[in-house]
Amino acid sequence: MADYTIPELFAVLLARDFRPEDRTVQVGANLPMARAAAVMANLTSAPDLRVLLGLGVNNLAGGRPAPAVHPFLFDPRSLTGEALMVQEHVFDDVSRPDVFFVGGLEVDRRGNINLFGIPDGDGGWKVRGPGGVALASMSTNCRGYYIIMPRHDKRSFVERVALVTALGDRQERERLRLPGGGPRLVLSPLGVFDFGEDGDMRIRTLHEGVSLEQVRESTAFPLTAPTEPGRTEPPSDAELALLRERVDIEGTLAG
Amino acid sequence: MSAVAGRASVLSTLEDAVAAVHDGAVVGIGGAVTDGHPMALVRGLARRGVRELTVVAPTAGLDVELLIAAGCVSKVVAAYVGMEGVAGVAPVFRRAVQEGAVGVEDIDEGHCVAGLRAAAQKLPFYPWRGGVGTSYPEVNTEIVAFADPLRGEPLLAIPALELDFALIYSETADEFGNAQVAGTGHMDQLLGAAARHVIVQVDRVVSNELIRSRPERTWYWRDARVVRAPFGTHPYSNAWMTADVEHLEGYVRAGRSGGEELAAYMDDHVHAVADHDDYLERVGIRRIASLLI
Repeated sequence: MADYTIPELFAVLLARDFRPEDRTVQVGANLPMARAAAVMANLTSAPDLRVLLGLGVNNLAGGRPAPAVHPFLFDPRSLTGEALMVQEHVFDDVSRPDVFFVGGLEVDRRGNINLFGIPDGDGGWKVRGPGGVALASMSTNCRGYYIIMPRHDKRSFVERVALVTALGDRQERERLRLPGGGPRLVLSPLGVFDFGEDGDMRIRTLHEGVSLEQVRESTAFPLTAPTEPGRTEPPSDAELALLRERVDIEGTLAG
Repeated sequence: MSAVAGRASVLSTLEDAVAAVHDGAVVGIGGAVTDGHPMALVRGLARRGVRELTVVAPTAGLDVELLIAAGCVSKVVAAYVGMEGVAGVAPVFRRAVQEGAVGVEDIDEGHCVAGLRAAAQKLPFYPWRGGVGTSYPEVNTEIVAFADPLRGEPLLAIPALELDFALIYSETADEFGNAQVAGTGHMDQLLGAAARHVIVQVDRVVSNELIRSRPERTWYWRDARVVRAPFGTHPYSNAWMTADVEHLEGYVRAGRSGGEELAAYMDDHVHAVADHDDYLERVGIRRIASLLI
């Protein structure tokens, strides 16, 4: 069995989950594993995909070289591809981005995300976050999004987020008639999670070496789980070869 | 007086252009995350010591940081203030907000587009769906949830973001205020449309003939000045120059420490700097040359 890092595992799991109806994927700042996943999918199962990476809109079918990974999303060397990504026009056609990725300070039992920060209860901020970026607009409209959590502990997997930047709650989304499909999966260093019919987060699979007890102890709410949760299928040799030799050539995810 | 008047140039010195920005003004700043911010104009404004600004900056970073550190800002309207991998949250912004010294109105990037459009179209608000069911109306009480009068759907009213000034960057413009960006332009054309006055910082002032050779690329506004400041997005990128990661890391260390370290950064890059050419001399030609694509 090959060794791999958590970011590499995330990239492979995300790449596997692209759906035939996904035509455009938009990747935001600071999520290199999501960028790698979109490129992997485009090179294999999803040749029709348009991938918005940085300032350019790309399609890599037909053996085009994958764009290099730069430290900043809007590096001017990403001004390549078949179209440009203009912030002012991204929201003119909200049916276009099918797939989006979000990170968060907190995720809760219902799939809500907080990027604002933690209020002090007196009109100010105990901890100020970076701001909501485009999370609200994207998560409202896109066909589906993936929640990528770099940590899994009781401070990041909470019963109820302090503030809602992106509404994941399935029942609330239906009540408010939001057009998008809501969160598809949550990835954490411990496992893969999704949401049941009742809208509660549930365990889908646990990563290699992770116990059910460990996940429960690291989560501040009761997770729904099958009696025998499945195991995350580890990256295959072929998947890792594709990722390392054609996508993440500089090893950004390997460190 | 001649029978046929010549066309007036709108070229301005940096100092004259920022001198027009008054205390208490609402100032939009263009660019996105680490690209295309009019940093020379921002440094000029910070050096002037204007006060009580409301800064509307869609996805901001060092631009907002320098203005806060120089004591120019009372309120920030933004979707993001950070430096991506270098600093998840911009340090001076975080401290000032947590201490209550600077107010924040949180907006989503889509809200920013909607609010600027409302202002550009002289509307009081723009309807928007992104953010329905979230805490936006709670963290920014200017945003109001309402029921669409036609179909009864829950929506948000995003108030017009009316700007007194828009400070934006374009790689090129001619002396008459016809700007042509070489990159994507982010939200900058719209930022200009929402403003009473536009100040465009450029690397190159090009001929009107060159502008005419590709008119489909031109932006123009009712009232714009053009300021030439080569390499003036530094330490951020433009279409021809990458961002200066090392400089940003140095800034973030100073910003996190605060106190004397931050004061030293501000002196070296803002307060004790005579003009934009002096700034470039301090950064150094070797550093600038290393960033050019």
